[in-house]
Amino acid sequence: MNGAHDLGGMHGFGPVVVEPNEPVFHAEWERRTFALNMAMGAWHRWNLDMGRYARELMPPVEYLATTYYEHWLFGLELLLEQVGFLQPDELARVGRAPDRAHPPGWVAAVKEGAMRLDDVERVVHRRRGARLDDPVAPRFKTGEVVVARNIHPVGHTRLPRYVRGRKGIIDRDHGAFIFPDTHAAGKGTQPQHVYSVRFDARELWGSDASPRDHVYVDLWDDYLDPS
Amino acid sequence: MVVCTLCSCYPWPVLGLPPVWYKSAPYRSRAVIDPRGVLREFGVELAEDVEVRVWDSTAELRYMVLPMRPEGTDGMTRDELTALVTRDAMIGTGVVKTMRAVG
Repeated sequence: MNGAHDLGGMHGFGPVVVEPNEPVFHAEWERRTFALNMAMGAWHRWNLDMGRYARELMPPVEYLATTYYEHWLFGLELLLEQVGFLQPDELARVGRAPDRAHPPGWVAAVKEGAMRLDDVERVVHRRRGARLDDPVAPRFKTGEVVVARNIHPVGHTRLPRYVRGRKGIIDRDHGAFIFPDTHAAGKGTQPQHVYSVRFDARELWGSDASPRDHVYVDLWDDYLDPS
Repeated sequence: MVVCTLCSCYPWPVLGLPPVWYKSAPYRSRAVIDPRGVLREFGVELAEDVEVRVWDSTAELRYMVLPMRPEGTDGMTRDELTALVTRDAMIGTGVVKTMRAVG
């Protein structure tokens, strides 16, 4: 979707602000949000791409006015509603305070596939990869000139707006991976090759860009056409 | 240098969780269109003849930069060299310096 998350090339956000001696988390709720996302991800009721898409569904005005972990919390709440773990009005009703009288079905749902303390180490260090062993043939060869498709899917996609319609060169073939667009929609993994595609900075940004600079973007077969 | 314009993909197992600036709109928007300007804000001024390569982590592949070895470190041990490497040098927004250059 052409959302506020697709930030590459936008102007107006100001300088990059670096915080010296930055802590890993700036508040306890950030730590909890991170842990909840990891724990609920291990529940396997949704996949990584569905998780990203849920964060992208935050309305653009809200997305740009909030922080990284607020995006995560929004996405988690949306997914929990989608799988029926939370009722649509439940968070408003409990005012986001811990609901000690768990609603019916809660305990049974968690028992099934819950991440326990003993599982944390394994879950955190052995995350499911998106690389697939499927013997799918690549559509392009290293060195081939390609054009990123000028498409505007309303669902999840990992094709940034700033490369659409632009010419690039296949720099390397990374092998076969899950296709995020279908995976996020629950329509299967659609295994296909991912390439590192090299774009001249001037192809993307015009003659003001340095003639020496390049941007490398990882793109799937279904995002590319032969030149 | 490495960026994720679409979310904030980052090599967690190697570098830990990313700093706020890496996840922020200014870095995600500008790293691809104005990498030299971003680098200047990190105190890195590159000559015109130096090529800048930006990697946008759009897939399930994570990138880090192997920092350039600073001059005058020929006699240094592995541990001494390791101590010079910074997180930013592995994101590509910093250059590894010797203590003499820093101080």
